[in-house]
Amino acid sequence: MTLMEKARRGEITREMEEVALAEGVSLEFIQNGVAGGTVVIPRSTARARIKPTGIGSGLRTKVSASVGLYGGDASIPVEKLKIEAAAGAGTDAIMDLSVSGDIDSMRREALSMFTGPVGTLPLYQALAEAGEKYRSSAQMKVEELFSVMERQAADGVDFLALHCGTTMDIVERAKKDGRVDPLVSYGGSHLIGWMIYNQCENPLYTHYDRVLEIARKYDVTVSLADGMRPGCLADSLDGPQVQELVVLGELVRRAREAGVQVMVKGPGHVPLNHLKATVTLQKSLCGGAPYFVFGPVVTDIAAGYDHISAAIGGAVCSWAGAEFLCYVTAPEHLGLPSAEQVREGVIASRIAAHAGDLARGLPGAAQWDLELSKARKVLDWDRQIALSIDPERAACIKRDRSGDNSEGCAMCGKYCAMKVVAEYLGTARQTC
Amino acid sequence: MTQVLEARAGRITGEMEAVASAEGLTPEFIRAGVASGKIVIPKNKGRKITSLCGIGEGLRIKVNALIGTSSDRDLILDEEKKLAVAEAAGCDSVMDLSTGGDIDGMRRQTLARAGVPVGSVPIYQAAVNALEKRGAMVNMTDQDMFDAIEKQAAGGIDFMAIHCALNFDVIRRLQARGRVTDVVSRGGAFLTGWMLHNNRENPLYHQFDRLLEILKKYDVTLSLGDAIRPGSTADSLDGAQLQGLIVAGELVARAHAAGVQVMVEGPGHVPMHHVESTMLLQKRLCDGAPYFILGTLATDVAPGYDHITSAIGGAIAGAAGADFLCYVTPAEHLGLPTSDDVRDGVMAARIAAHAADLARGRRGAWEKDMKMARARVSGDAAAQAESSVDPRVWENHRPGGDGKCAVCGDGCAARIAAKYFGIT
Repeated sequence: MTLMEKARRGEITREMEEVALAEGVSLEFIQNGVAGGTVVIPRSTARARIKPTGIGSGLRTKVSASVGLYGGDASIPVEKLKIEAAAGAGTDAIMDLSVSGDIDSMRREALSMFTGPVGTLPLYQALAEAGEKYRSSAQMKVEELFSVMERQAADGVDFLALHCGTTMDIVERAKKDGRVDPLVSYGGSHLIGWMIYNQCENPLYTHYDRVLEIARKYDVTVSLADGMRPGCLADSLDGPQVQELVVLGELVRRAREAGVQVMVKGPGHVPLNHLKATVTLQKSLCGGAPYFVFGPVVTDIAAGYDHISAAIGGAVCSWAGAEFLCYVTAPEHLGLPSAEQVREGVIASRIAAHAGDLARGLPGAAQWDLELSKARKVLDWDRQIALSIDPERAACIKRDRSGDNSEGCAMCGKYCAMKVVAEYLGTARQTC
Repeated sequence: MTQVLEARAGRITGEMEAVASAEGLTPEFIRAGVASGKIVIPKNKGRKITSLCGIGEGLRIKVNALIGTSSDRDLILDEEKKLAVAEAAGCDSVMDLSTGGDIDGMRRQTLARAGVPVGSVPIYQAAVNALEKRGAMVNMTDQDMFDAIEKQAAGGIDFMAIHCALNFDVIRRLQARGRVTDVVSRGGAFLTGWMLHNNRENPLYHQFDRLLEILKKYDVTLSLGDAIRPGSTADSLDGAQLQGLIVAGELVARAHAAGVQVMVEGPGHVPMHHVESTMLLQKRLCDGAPYFILGTLATDVAPGYDHITSAIGGAIAGAAGADFLCYVTPAEHLGLPTSDDVRDGVMAARIAAHAADLARGRRGAWEKDMKMARARVSGDAAAQAESSVDPRVWENHRPGGDGKCAVCGDGCAARIAAKYFGIT
């Protein structure tokens, strides 16, 4: 029996208990959420005990970091360092998006070293293996795709990203409508090429019941990926994107009927004024399934700073109801991130998630800000740093830009506003 | 005659022409905006500016950088470098907030080197001088304050942040309800201390006409400093802040009547769901005067990353009507920024401003993004670099991995898809 089926029968599992405790909500809230599909707890029965993480309505917004082997220079030890950096920065989930090299070993390393949920995108490995075998990823056989999916699920992957909704109809619409950038997602582009080459409907769509069977067997959460996510602002909320979302909504319902936990993956490049509508549409079309958004970046031109652009979009999405943010690193659109850039990407995404939680009034979210501000008011530096989202970075900047001896900080020096006013308002004692 | 009086007399000045051409708008649109007070063009009569900057309704959202010495770090050579970095990063104006070392020398250096409008906060120098000459900041006289303002105006400062909208009504509101972080504006803190110690009303409020005379003489744009801006998200939109905004609105009308260009400074730490209301209130209470905001910072918990918390708030604020974003650097709350922090701060604020311009449907902004999107689809790295907010990130660009699917050659599925869509 899957977790979703247990929840529907009124059973409260260890996972639900741990999530309820971590979130400070009632057991019934989690059980009802999992039963109704508005909360997912991605964890595979094939995997050793992990830290269960709840994603969904009424819970803290979560963050995922992507790593993986990509190209000839990639190596497993380097990617392991990135996983460590992401975990150290407080990511809630990891996705191993390896597209080349020893993909099996990389995945197994990720599963053994990260204690939270781990996701993969099986199509990548199937394409890579077909590339090796036939010298052409377009020659991939449907059977091979499902065999990779099963192999990854059997290894204990907690959530699988699958482009089940990219149908031929939608591909043709993208061409007809003149999408500016029709080939954004790596998986989506290859899948579309495969469909065109083989003159064949998307097998993840036509064989969706088979996808659900594998998911049921290992109780893997399905993450319905979008092949038509907007890759530039001009494509946001166009026909292909919205039509795919309609299809994904149908697939959400079928997954739930099969007792399989499901979430929906989305944007991309989205102008600020489209964000709320995007989240509202997803919620409406997908029956309140958790929304896993990439970024979104709010401009196309911030190459080198896309973690900042994504923090803007992620914060507004989280506020509007998206529950799961996929990080974007600074070198997105330029190259692959270093471990340090992975760490910054996770922090930027966590800032967005928290700003969203604060704005939507998530119980307890404001407490963190209040505690830090109180420490700031009394110039309690140790506490300010300890409460910071990245204490190590805060301590380092304080040391470097102010020195250790300053009572205030070097920005105001002896003219610290906090100090001056406390003296005359008699509101707080300054300590150091 | 000041810019605003010229505009009201129906005359289009060279400054208005320059702003109109930079914005792709008609000179008449700019003139009407300046005349009505919805647009300001900060420029001191005595100063030459190579990059004039119009701020207000219908214009591209502008970005301000802060530089200046402090009592702990007072090397003016460092600050000269930061000015150069900020301008290279694309700031539209700069404020010299020096409180340490040779403040006059520092200001002269900034005015001489900057190609953009330069702002200052004269009360800093007045307070620092009072501490040196009179033993305490609270011993500062009214004359000291106005002398500092006149000296800086005569020196060529284009816009001044002056905390005129702080009076005892505001302080009483603050005392009545209490706040988590009280007063976090440095100028606001000096004046609050001064008022409580001397038990006297704020001279910059009380003798507002005297201030306006000086500003008018040099055609300095008044930036009404927000003494009571929220320093924590918990303090946002409280009674004290709103009282300050109401007072600011009254002073905007008086400045305008006197023929002085005026904008209003604001927030601070503001949770995202307060941002739109904050902008609306300012525009309503201050009769559409340009809104110059710090951040806004969307959360209190990210020291070391406050350029990011500010980009979040600044983008939403810009989309909701803010006209002018004051950058925040990663060093905010922790220390004085380095040159790298300055660059990161300007870039983050520019991204926020641009995201807001896009959300407002600004044509020029959409053209930039479309150009980038097309360059990306065709894989044109040089065109992408040219369209980027910071072209320098492409200098050592080396695409990661061999994403071209070398194993497949022509059998690559993605290449087949590209052909289908007519992308080669």
